[in-house]
Amino acid sequence: MHSFAHDASAQTASPGPPYVERLEQALPNLFAAHQQLYRSLWQQAHVPPAILELCRLRLAQLHRSEADWTREEHALAPGMREQLARWHESEAFDDAARACIAFAEVYAMDASAISDAQAQAVQSHYGDAGLVLLIEALGLFDGMTRLNLLWRSPPAAQGDHTTPERGEASDGQ
Amino acid sequence: MGSKARVERKGASSGNPVRDSALGLVPETLDHYLRLNSLVWESGPLGPAELEIARLRNARKVGCVFCKSVRYDIARSDGLSEERVGMIDDQFMHSALSAREKAIIAFTDQYLDDPSGMPASLRDELAALFSAEELLHLSLAIAHFNGFSRCAVSLGGMPDELPVMEIPLPQ
Repeated sequence: MHSFAHDASAQTASPGPPYVERLEQALPNLFAAHQQLYRSLWQQAHVPPAILELCRLRLAQLHRSEADWTREEHALAPGMREQLARWHESEAFDDAARACIAFAEVYAMDASAISDAQAQAVQSHYGDAGLVLLIEALGLFDGMTRLNLLWRSPPAAQGDHTTPERGEASDGQ
Repeated sequence: MGSKARVERKGASSGNPVRDSALGLVPETLDHYLRLNSLVWESGPLGPAELEIARLRNARKVGCVFCKSVRYDIARSDGLSEERVGMIDDQFMHSALSAREKAIIAFTDQYLDDPSGMPASLRDELAALFSAEELLHLSLAIAHFNGFSRCAVSLGGMPDELPVMEIPLPQ
């Protein structure tokens, strides 16, 4: 098994297996529990999976994580992925999506900077439970993104999406 | 901070602080969350005292007053005294913490500040001090702690200050 230590031994080391594969091999109980929680995000009734996928991909863009950008958890309507970096000026995103993406951007930078207005915008579409679910999901997405960067996870093998365009984080207004 | 809570959870009185929190509004994820939390603390190769150092460092940097005030009883039983908790500050490198404990804090900071830019010196140090399994465990634990503390901050209603509270692991 590639260890963190082995990969760490050279600054130019090529990527090893994705973090989750290493976790599955070394600590299967923890891997299974993490996967069950992650999968439950996509099987709940509060926030549509397409909205979650947009937020997950926006975090991948902001963190410049190819491993997360090239993965697909939920199929999006044509053009949405391509326009995501400029969501605030695109007509492809409805008010609900815009509220959640704006919230995700601030969450990624500094959760304490989230405004009441940004939270209320999410609640107006998905209610209290939707806001809680979105925050839980962002925690897992942000965590997976950071772990993939930390462990140098490679881009998805079947990924047909090129390097993420970061774009500029909106002020959410 | 001190903002108003953005989600009120009325009538919940199970006695479990996580189940009674806003997280209880999403039953589809709640049990999975609690199971992962239990396994992070009880099933990996790192002990509670070392995990608690990572959790408290994260809490300090994220600014989660709730997380900063909590001490898990299993970590105290595992030897993490308040004197050592006091060393998890920005002078930690000059403290009496062990080399492993200092490396845990440095790794936590790297996760939070620049996960794609870990210097070779830190990688080599971690490789010398920890097994691969320990580093996988520590990584997941930090991600879990960070997600939880960001969740608490995002939900608002954070007091400016709380006293230290020793609690058991929520189940």
